[in-house]
Amino acid sequence: MKTIKYLIFQMMAVSAIIITFAIPAKAQITPFTYFNADWQFNAPISNDFANKASGWGMNFEGGYYVLPDLAIGAFINYHTNHQYIPRQTLPVNNSAALTTDQQHSVFQLPFGLATRYRFNDGVFQPYIGMKLGANYTKMSSDFYIYEATDNTWGLYVSPEIGINIYPWTNGIGLHLAAFYNYSTNKGNVLNYDIDKLNNWGLRVGVAF
Amino acid sequence: MKKLFPILLTTLALISCEKEADIDRLDNEYMVFTNHDTNAQFNDCNTFYLPDSILIIGDKKDPEYWKDEKARTLIDTFVSQMNASGYTRTSEKGNADLGLQISYITSTYYFQEYYNDGPWWGYYPGYWYPGYWGGNWGGGWYYPYSIVYRYSTGALLADMVNLKHAPEGQKEKLTVVWNAYISGLTGSGNSLNLNRTITAIDQAFTQSPYLKKTSEN
Repeated sequence: MKTIKYLIFQMMAVSAIIITFAIPAKAQITPFTYFNADWQFNAPISNDFANKASGWGMNFEGGYYVLPDLAIGAFINYHTNHQYIPRQTLPVNNSAALTTDQQHSVFQLPFGLATRYRFNDGVFQPYIGMKLGANYTKMSSDFYIYEATDNTWGLYVSPEIGINIYPWTNGIGLHLAAFYNYSTNKGNVLNYDIDKLNNWGLRVGVAF
Repeated sequence: MKKLFPILLTTLALISCEKEADIDRLDNEYMVFTNHDTNAQFNDCNTFYLPDSILIIGDKKDPEYWKDEKARTLIDTFVSQMNASGYTRTSEKGNADLGLQISYITSTYYFQEYYNDGPWWGYYPGYWYPGYWGGNWGGGWYYPYSIVYRYSTGALLADMVNLKHAPEGQKEKLTVVWNAYISGLTGSGNSLNLNRTITAIDQAFTQSPYLKKTSEN
C-alpha cells in the first residue's frame, strides 16, 4: 500500500514539474515588462579604503520591451563595504596627527537608466545589460566616537549578464546575474584619497 | 501593476538600509589627536613651566584641581617627555619659554547645557585663562589650526603656549602652539586606566616630532 502511495506521489510530482515547464513562454506578469528585486554580493576591486566583499546590498530594476527583445528601464541599488584599519598614526594634514584604529565604510547608491537585450523570451531568458547613471557614495571612517565622512557623486556604468527564469504560471520567477561597475566618484577622508570605484558582484533574486 | 506597488514601497524603505560600521570591532583603546602651529619656533625655546596639578573639567561651578598620586604620575610623564625633547622644567612661570596646561574632562555638562556656540572650555569656570601665564593677552586664546570641538569624558587636554614669542596687549591673543586631545582613557567602572593614559601621553609626543629642542641651539 505504501508503495502504491509512493508511486502516486512520484507521478504527481513529475506531472507537476512537466506542467510547470510546459507553460507558455512569456510567463512574467506582462509580456512586455520585467522587474527584478535582488540580494546583492559586491566585491571592490583595487580599493584600499574599504575592500572587504560583502552581501550588504540589494538591487531593484524594471524595464519595458520597446522591441521584442530590447528593454529600456530604470534601476536603483545600494551596497555597503567595510574594512577594519588597525591602530596607526595618520598625518591628517600638514600640522595634525591622529592615532587610532578605524572602521572604513563605502556606501554606494547608484541609480539611472537600464537597458537589456534578451536572447530568448521563453522560460529561460538569458540577457546582457548595461546600466548608466549617477552614483551617490558616502565614504566614511569611524573611530572612537567620531566619524569622518565625504559624500560624493560620480557617473556610473555597469555591464551585466544574467538570466530570468519563469518556471511557474503565477508570473514570479528567478533572477541570477553577474556584474561589473565603474564610477567616477572621488573622495577624501582623513588622509585617504579615493579616486574612482570599481566593483564586481553577483545578484540573486526574484523576477516578475 | 497592483503587485508592483508593494515592491516599490519596499524599495524605498530599503534605500535607507546602509549597513552601519561595526564599531564593536574597534579596539576601545586610546585615541590621540595632536595639532600644532607650523610657524611656532619650538627649537628656539629652552624652558617650560608645568603646574603641579591637573584641572578637572566637571559639572561644578568652582574649579577643581587633581593633585593625587595618579595626577602626579601623569604630570611626571609629561615632564619626562618634555625633558626627552630637550626642554628643562622651571619652577618660575616668569622664566618659562613654554607653558603647558593639562585638563581632565569628567563631564561635558557645561558644553551640553550652556555653551554650544564656541570654544566651551574657554568659558568653563576656573579654566586656564591667558592671564594665568603672567602677561597681558586681552584677546584671549588663539589656535592657528583646527582642533577637536566635540569632546568626551575621560579625556586629557594638553595645551602648550609659547611665552617667549607672545606679543602682549589688550587686543593680543596668546597662541596655543601645540594641542593634544587624548581620549578613551577610562576602563571598567569609568575609572582612569593609568597605564593606558601613560602610553597615550607618550604617543602624543611620539607623533609630534617637531616638538624638540635640538642641540645646536
